[in-house]
Amino acid sequence: MAKESHHVRGTIKFVVWTAISVAVCVYFWAQYYNGNLMKQYYYKAKFAGWAVNAMTFDQATKDKPAALQIGSFEKIEGLQAVPIKKGDLLPANATGIIDEKTVKEGKRVALEGNTLKVMIPSQIKESKGFAFRDTFTHKGVETDPWGGAWAVGFILILGFCLGSMAEGFTDMIGMKISKIKHYEGVH
Amino acid sequence: MFEFAIAGIEAPIFLLVLTGMTVGIVGGFIGVGGGYMVTPALIVFGFPGYMASGIDVTHIAGKSVVATIRHRQLGNIDWILGLAMVGGTMMGVEMGVRLLNLTKALGLSTIALLFGSVAIMIGLFIYTQIETHRSHKEIDKLTASGATVGRELKVSRIPHFFQSIALRPIIRCHTARIVVSMWVVVIIGVFTGVLAGFFGVGGGFIRVPALVYLVGASTHIAVGTDLLEIVVSGGYGALRQFMSGNVDMIAVFFMIIGAMVGAQFGSIATSFVRGPAIRYILSYSLGLATVGAFLRLVYMLTAQKYKVLNFAAVVFTLGEMIFLTLFILSLVLFAVRFRSGKWVPPWIPALVVQKDEE
Repeated sequence: MAKESHHVRGTIKFVVWTAISVAVCVYFWAQYYNGNLMKQYYYKAKFAGWAVNAMTFDQATKDKPAALQIGSFEKIEGLQAVPIKKGDLLPANATGIIDEKTVKEGKRVALEGNTLKVMIPSQIKESKGFAFRDTFTHKGVETDPWGGAWAVGFILILGFCLGSMAEGFTDMIGMKISKIKHYEGVH
Repeated sequence: MFEFAIAGIEAPIFLLVLTGMTVGIVGGFIGVGGGYMVTPALIVFGFPGYMASGIDVTHIAGKSVVATIRHRQLGNIDWILGLAMVGGTMMGVEMGVRLLNLTKALGLSTIALLFGSVAIMIGLFIYTQIETHRSHKEIDKLTASGATVGRELKVSRIPHFFQSIALRPIIRCHTARIVVSMWVVVIIGVFTGVLAGFFGVGGGFIRVPALVYLVGASTHIAVGTDLLEIVVSGGYGALRQFMSGNVDMIAVFFMIIGAMVGAQFGSIATSFVRGPAIRYILSYSLGLATVGAFLRLVYMLTAQKYKVLNFAAVVFTLGEMIFLTLFILSLVLFAVRFRSGKWVPPWIPALVVQKDEE
C-alpha cells in the first residue's frame, strides 16, 4: 500500500514538473524568437562610432571591400551602418561597433561620403608574443544588466524544474534512493 | 549546424547536448562543474575564449542545481560546511572575473585560460594519483586482513593540520563529522572562487580535493557540498559573465538539456562506490583534460600554423569526456555485478561498496 502511494506521488510529481519544465522551455524559445535575447546582449554602445552587423561583411577583402551604407536605420539589414554615440541603444541586428579611431586611420575601414568601406574585417593581431583574431563582432557592445539577472534566474529555475522532474521520474519507476552512511576508515 | 547569433559562430547542436550530458555524468559523479573540460571543448568547437568561459559557467549554475537536488536526497551535502564557504567563494569569483576581463582587454583570454588550466591541472593530477593509489592499496590490505572498511579511506595527513588550527569561530559539521576553523573554510572558498571566476568554471576541480585533503571531508560529502557551492558561485559568476558580454544563452540552454540527463546518472552512481573511486575519476579527468589543453596551447603559441594540433586537441577533448563516462558506467556495472556475487576484476572490490556496507 505504502509502495503504491509512493508510486502515485512520484507519478504526480513527475507529471507536474514535466509540465512546468516544458512551459519554462517554451517561454525561453519565445524570448529567442521575438528577439529579446539579442536585445539583452546587444544593448548599448560602449563608445561612439558606427553600429554594424559584422557577419554581413566577414568575407570582405582589400580587393573586394564591403560598402556599408550609412543611415539612421532602426534595424540593420545587410550592408548598413548606423552612426552612434556612447550610451545609445543599439539598433536591431547590430553585432558590433566600428569606432571613430579605426575609421580615421583608414587602414581597415574608410569613410567615403555616405559609405563605410570595410577592407579588413578581421586580422591576426599580436599581444605579448601571442596571436589572436581581431574582428568587429562584440566590439563596443554593452549588455543589459537586467538581462544578466534574468539569465541567472532563468537558469536556476530551469535547473530546479529539470532536477525535480528527474526526481519525480525515479520515484515513479520505483527506484529506491536512500541516504548514504558516511563511515571513514575501519568500522 | 545552428547559427549562434550572439557568439557569432556556427556549431552542431548535438555536440553541445552531448558535451552537456557527458560532463553532467562526470560532474555529478566527481562533484565538479566540469568547466575545465567544457571551456577547452567550447574553444575547440570555435567559440571565442571569453565566450566559452561565460557559456560554461552559466550552464554549470543550472546543472549544479539539478545535481544538488539528487545529492541532497543521497545525504551527501553538509549545509554548514557549504554555507560557511559561500562568502569567500563569492569574493573570489568577483576577483576572478575582473582578472578575466583584464586578460580579455589585452586580447589574451584564450591563451591565459589554456595556460592556467594546464599548470593547475598537472599539479592536482599528480597529487591525487599518488594519494588515491595509496588509499586503494590500504583498502586492499585491510580487506585482506578481514577488516570491514567504510565508504571512505584516505592516507593523507594534511587534514589533521588544518583541523588543528584553533582560530575562532570553530564550526562543527555534523554530516561531514568534522570540526574546523571557519577561516580555513573561508580562505579555501576565496582561492577556489578566483579560479572559478577566471576560468569560467565552478571551481570544483580544486574545491573537491581541497575539501578532502585540507578540510578532511569524505569524498562523497565533498562532492555534494561542492555542488551546492557551485550553485552559488556559478550563479554569481554567470551574472558577472553575462554583464561582461560573455554569454550566449542559446548555447547554455542546449548544454543544460544534456546535462540534466547526465547529472542524474552521475549523482546516483556515487552511491555504488567508495571515496577512492571518485578520486581516481577526478584525477584521470584532470590528467586527460591537461593533454587536450596543452595541445591547444601549443597550437596557439605556434601562431595557429599546425592544424593537426588543433585536430588532435578536438579528438582529445571529446575522447576524454567519452572515456570518463565509460569509466563511470563500467564502475557502476562492476559494482552491480559485485553485489550479486558475480566475477569482477581484482581491483574492483576495493573501489565499490556491498549493499550492506552502506
